[in-house]
Amino acid sequence: MVDHPRDFIPLIDELGYVIEEDLATVLYLMMKLEKPLLLEGNPGVGKTQIAYLLSDLLNCELIRLQCYEGLDVNNAIYEWNYQKQLLAIKIHEGGDKSASEKERLIFGEEYLLRRPLLRAISSTKTQVLLIDEIDRADEEFEAFLLEVLSDFQISIPELGTIRAQQKPIVVLTSNRTRELSDALKRRCLYHWVDYPSMEKELKIIKKHLPNLERQLAEQIATYVQRIRKLQLDKLPGIAETIDWARGIALFPNDEAAMYKSLACLLKSESDRQVVAEAIFSENVP
Amino acid sequence: MRHYTDYPSFSEALVGFVQQARRAGFSVGIQGSKDTVAAALADLWLDRDIFEHALTALMVQDPAERESFSTLYRRFWRQRGSAVSDKRTYRNKKTVVKKGQQTAVMLGRGKTDEGRQSEGAKTATGASRREQIKHTDFRKLSLPDSQLLDELSEKLIREMSLRLKRRRRKAKRGRVDIAQSIRRNLQRGGMILDLAHTAPKREKFRLLILLDISGSMDKYSFYLLKFLWALRHHFAQVEAFAFSTKLMRITDYLLAKDREWSLHLVSQYVTHWSSGTKIGECLRTFNEQYAKRFLNGKTLTIVLSDGLDTGEPQVLAEAMEKIKLRSKKLIWLNPLKGMSGYQPIQRGMKAALPAVQHFGSAHNFASLLALENILADA
Repeated sequence: MVDHPRDFIPLIDELGYVIEEDLATVLYLMMKLEKPLLLEGNPGVGKTQIAYLLSDLLNCELIRLQCYEGLDVNNAIYEWNYQKQLLAIKIHEGGDKSASEKERLIFGEEYLLRRPLLRAISSTKTQVLLIDEIDRADEEFEAFLLEVLSDFQISIPELGTIRAQQKPIVVLTSNRTRELSDALKRRCLYHWVDYPSMEKELKIIKKHLPNLERQLAEQIATYVQRIRKLQLDKLPGIAETIDWARGIALFPNDEAAMYKSLACLLKSESDRQVVAEAIFSENVP
Repeated sequence: MRHYTDYPSFSEALVGFVQQARRAGFSVGIQGSKDTVAAALADLWLDRDIFEHALTALMVQDPAERESFSTLYRRFWRQRGSAVSDKRTYRNKKTVVKKGQQTAVMLGRGKTDEGRQSEGAKTATGASRREQIKHTDFRKLSLPDSQLLDELSEKLIREMSLRLKRRRRKAKRGRVDIAQSIRRNLQRGGMILDLAHTAPKREKFRLLILLDISGSMDKYSFYLLKFLWALRHHFAQVEAFAFSTKLMRITDYLLAKDREWSLHLVSQYVTHWSSGTKIGECLRTFNEQYAKRFLNGKTLTIVLSDGLDTGEPQVLAEAMEKIKLRSKKLIWLNPLKGMSGYQPIQRGMKAALPAVQHFGSAHNFASLLALENILADA
């Protein structure tokens, strides 16, 4: 696709994303080595967006598995279509099929409900598989993922082992609410996603709001960088910065526009108070 | 440290770098070596910045490792004579020189009473001696008793961990396994008369331990740290912090399989053993920097401290309240509570208590084992 990591940057720029050389190198390596990519970072730094970026770049479907505590095989890989199985049993009731034949029938592919992991593995086209917030899932599920990530195969007791015909591009994200196992990390490329630098944040704002005055965009980026240094319950992420810029744009020629639209940036009253006192004290009514 | 020009060929330099990375503590397996070669073969090595990004993705597994990896990379791959300092080595040397005394205290040798005998344990033998040691105050343990306690504690914590797992397995039945139920009832035309259940799911908790290592805790912190090491090895989710005048995360140092090496690492990296006590400020730092990441509805937070705080009680009270809100349960284990006549009337302890949901002692091994009941009920 490209011959050098830096070649990614303009391609990705055209798609409306902003990336730097380090991430471009990791994406290039990911394609070359066909290894999953583990992205860690604080909430809101744009980890999930990287999977969307890959899906846009490669023009393929994105399959998303949102992890949560208690996520199990039935929700992540496959489940049997029980209603259909029961119907089939009723239809074949009194027929000449033996119990073992009936069992083989109702546990066949026709009765299988494919969940995200199985869909990604069994697809004939390249897919981007996003395993989002893996740190929320239990360790048992993480252990189960090892087979998928190293061999790109899934074992289903009734059907045997299903191997990927076309290896999916796998992106895992974690907010680091717990440490992931070394075994999982070893199977992945690792990249830490930080809050964007001033320069990058400005580029992102301009990308999303091309009509915003440069001076105002710079002011917004500068304030967000300062706000992230405060002790807040929830630091604003990139999406909040863009929302804030959009909110500010709704109050043209209003000096207090930034203060008025703080609700776009901060998600708790205590954070709003901290920011109001530290940065916007002159605008507080 | 060798430089890439010291190797006869590029491929040998690559292998040399992988080995140096391993020696420096980076987790690079056989597959990691292969991937490094593959990255080089993709011509990434032609650009040193790009090659550094690539090897960082392959060898670094934690944001805290990035800086030391970058230093290692630059020293190995950059031009000779470039002014890159080895911060990692510098930090180690500095720490070793400054902390001789602190290390001795931390390893339980600095402030112990010479020739001290365990009052309760000196005459007993065999099983009864072990039982007595469990109930002997840590301050009064002699060196032989201490060694016996080490062996005993390992065994008892392992047993405690097993008991907790079993108890939780029995706690409730798993949900209905529909696939298995259908299979089991095929002969009845799919009429579900006999339900199959999945294996019961264990409810899990996380442990977060905040250990006071200030001067007033010297006689206890050594044993409590050993206890933490054992907990870390028998429970999957344990996070540990040490504090006195500042707070430091020590979880990673407790990961070493060899306990003595693990304690040595803690002694090398923790710079504030035996100093003053600012519990409130340290807990506030914890809330600001770590609480969001490590506390949730499944976390049991345990503070191991005598509560002799020299800071503002209000700061401690507020920090405790915040921890309580984010935790499943907030427990305070105080070694002084084992002394007869002890009353939690010191201003620090008084300020902390309203937020504490269980207040226990931590003066001997038996009191630490009592934690099992709290964990089982959590």
